[in-house]
Amino acid sequence: MTDHELEIFERQLRQVKPAPVPECLQARLNQQRPAEQKPVQVLERSRVRVSNFLRLLQWLTPASAAILLTVAVVWRGDQSGRLNSPDAAAPALKADDIKIHQELISSFDAVARLPSGEPVRFRCQTWMDQVAVSDSSRGLFIENRTPRIEVVPIGYETY
Amino acid sequence: MSSGYQDGKFAKTDWDQWLAEHAPKFLLFARQQVRYEADAQDLVQDAVVECWRRQAQNTPPAAGQIFATIRRRAIDFSRREGRRAVREATAAEGIPKEWFDSGIEDQERNSLMQEAMSKLPGIYRDVVTLKVWGELTFAEIASALEIPANTAASRYRYGLEELRKHTKQGFM
Repeated sequence: MTDHELEIFERQLRQVKPAPVPECLQARLNQQRPAEQKPVQVLERSRVRVSNFLRLLQWLTPASAAILLTVAVVWRGDQSGRLNSPDAAAPALKADDIKIHQELISSFDAVARLPSGEPVRFRCQTWMDQVAVSDSSRGLFIENRTPRIEVVPIGYETY
Repeated sequence: MSSGYQDGKFAKTDWDQWLAEHAPKFLLFARQQVRYEADAQDLVQDAVVECWRRQAQNTPPAAGQIFATIRRRAIDFSRREGRRAVREATAAEGIPKEWFDSGIEDQERNSLMQEAMSKLPGIYRDVVTLKVWGELTFAEIASALEIPANTAASRYRYGLEELRKHTKQGFM
């Protein structure tokens, strides 16, 4: 069989068309049509917003904890002062050192799917926020540790 | 392909068009991989859905990817098939589906072609089907069947020669 004969035969074969898909299969395939997705840019923008919010939260949480702790310490000091010696005004707590520390406990990635079927990767991190307040004049040292879970959706470029 | 894919959307019309263009080729290949029509249809549906879900963007997967998935699924299927009950054999066998479009004029030629194709050893038939009706390149066939491209090319030539011997009445 020469190359020319091969080409002719190939052309003839191509004229024979595969049988059409039966209606039942056609109907099944039509049901499987992938859902329309929003443009990728919109998704990315929303992810950036979420990410920014979580980043802000990362700083707000220990800061608000520190403020609350300071207020609580001051209030308690005030209350105990009143109880112990009602006539004498107790000196207010003067925190001369506040330390805020964040410690990464664990980090792992998880993959989930959007309703449209698109895979999204989430970075899950567990942090331990630690706030330490000390008043050296009164010999006070107060420490508060709060665990925090941070989940940030990140891009899933390749699959 | 339609421009509907460009912005990440895939409209119903695009899907219908894509199916109309490709589904008959997938089904032809699937019918050659398994014994029963129902299994072939399941293979096509599973492969299409699986490959679409694997796509990061909402764009259609390459045909070669779907052929490869059909083949892999068919291999898994044939492993399980030994355990399948005889009921399927009695229920589904004896209803051979036509592999090719049997218009009134070409009915005889097409049934001759189906007979010749079914006589061809599977390794040659796969390559001929993917090249002629799947419109894949030898590189794509090599990837789908997990064989070297040169092997695909030589199997194709041998397959065509064998096919021609069996179809001399219908073709020149």
